[in-house]
Amino acid sequence: MSGRLAAASTGRTLYSEVVEQIEAIALARPLGEETMLPAEWELAEQLGVSRGTLRRALAELEAGGLVRREIGRGTFVNPAARLRRVVWERLAEVALPDSRFGYDFSSFVPDFAGSERCAASVRSLDEYRRARTLVVTPDNSLERLREQALEDGKRLVVFTYGMLRGARLLDPAELPPGGAVLAATLDGMERAGRGLDFAQLLTSGPIDLVVTGAAAVSREGVHFGKGHGYFDLEWGLLSEVGLVDATTPVVAVVHDCQVVPDRVPHAELDAICDVIVTPSEQIRCEPLPKPSGLVWDRVPRQFLSTRPYLRDARQASRRRAA
Amino acid sequence: MTLPPPPASQDGLAPGRGGGTGEPSSALAPPLDPQRVVREQVWAALRAVARPDSRFHWDFSSFIADFEGSEACAERVRALASWDRADLVFITPDNSTEAVRHRAIEEGRRLLMTTYGIRRGFLYLEPGRVRPGEERYAATLDGMDALARPVTLAEISRLGTIGLLVTGGSAVNLEGLRIGKGHGYFDLEWALLSEAGAVEATSEIVDVVHDCQVVDLPIDRAAHDVRVDWIVTPTQTIRVDAGGHPLGKVLWELVAGTEFEQLPPVVELARQREGGAP
Repeated sequence: MSGRLAAASTGRTLYSEVVEQIEAIALARPLGEETMLPAEWELAEQLGVSRGTLRRALAELEAGGLVRREIGRGTFVNPAARLRRVVWERLAEVALPDSRFGYDFSSFVPDFAGSERCAASVRSLDEYRRARTLVVTPDNSLERLREQALEDGKRLVVFTYGMLRGARLLDPAELPPGGAVLAATLDGMERAGRGLDFAQLLTSGPIDLVVTGAAAVSREGVHFGKGHGYFDLEWGLLSEVGLVDATTPVVAVVHDCQVVPDRVPHAELDAICDVIVTPSEQIRCEPLPKPSGLVWDRVPRQFLSTRPYLRDARQASRRRAA
Repeated sequence: MTLPPPPASQDGLAPGRGGGTGEPSSALAPPLDPQRVVREQVWAALRAVARPDSRFHWDFSSFIADFEGSEACAERVRALASWDRADLVFITPDNSTEAVRHRAIEEGRRLLMTTYGIRRGFLYLEPGRVRPGEERYAATLDGMDALARPVTLAEISRLGTIGLLVTGGSAVNLEGLRIGKGHGYFDLEWALLSEAGAVEATSEIVDVVHDCQVVDLPIDRAAHDVRVDWIVTPTQTIRVDAGGHPLGKVLWELVAGTEFEQLPPVVELARQREGGAP
């Protein structure tokens, strides 16, 4: 019995070492290219493990999104997943933990040292000055910006985490004096904000500006989220219902270490930013085409059953088609 | 301290304050255990009066929900004699205890709280840290993270005695036994604070729950379960004859190999036991 346990435990250790080694190989590739890993037999030989162990390790990495296996072609490294992993390592130096998720960056976009400078910088943008109603994502990095926007008298539409309970409206006219600091947090907007059902969302506009955080953003303006696709979904929904279009400015607020200089291959549904604001600079991006509307067969089925806005938007789109 | 096996995330129930993603679990349930049945019945009733969490929404397996009437609970806690005596209070990071934290901060008491899942240890908030008008913000988990400072067990042991501890929970019976959410966080918190010398056998423990969370059912008691002295609901203050609390101890044989082993205060205590540097 103890012999079997020992073998099992050694097996587990070896296997997780193989996962780590393949990860290291994948992460070492240049950021800007979609690259392939060596063939399975070659990797197995290089790492000194059986094909079975190697395949299990690859399957785990595939489940985590870092690689994609195509039968008959080989194993490809997913550039967006690799980008996130590389940036998260840098971000750990400056990031602040979340009250629930701690340092698990795959679950939230962290606040960072210098985010108050980003908020001040956004204040100097014409797009911000002109804006009366903003959509701001529920990222911790935008807490200071939400507080400032409320102090500046702007109305905010903020999605709940993962859009599961739709969005909330934060209206400075409805806040008590000094209430902006509470309202700007995710916990606080539950108390200070007002829930918007789908009909209320549709009449909450016009939306003059969208501000988002990101896991990473390429210098040309491609937005990479924490991996759930929530911002792509939010933008998709807003454009589906006509609250935003290609002319609505999108500002990404990130730390300098989250801006990737390379051109990164991206999918047509990845969200696009017009301006990137970091603690030390403002980057105006060359305009790239922004995705428009929701592609229904690309929206995960589970999202439809758990997110009332998506259900309602789909019904509306079917009515239009009929 | 109750230490069931680490959460089997596929059952969608176990994590308690320990973590989830907010995504509803779609997995089917494994065979029923009686505590689980009670917990699920209570959650079904709680849904009508609960307030969702900013990250976990309605996923009660990931957090202890605030509910309608928690402000009335806070007033009832304030009416306890032990509240008057407690200059230093420990309050769990549950949403249901936010109103009590709000009162403690307003009244200028020193406040100790754990971070979510104890993962980043304890936080300590001193009265001078909160600007007037921002007490409500400070009472939230987001606000505590911004304003309170992390403290080690060694620092906690120098803060004085905690006269009152306030916790939330999934359910509690009239003997003052709480139904765990699967992790036994409060039992571990009691054990850690005991080992730090921060609590005494006479320190009082209050469980803040909604009336629908008080169950009239026997609950099997594990040796390390901590009974509460008071159950406070929006409509009642129930004195439980707890007969004092034996001070807790971290049960190392149960901690070994679990995620508890990595929690900062547990690591600190383990080092101290080995005689290494604190």
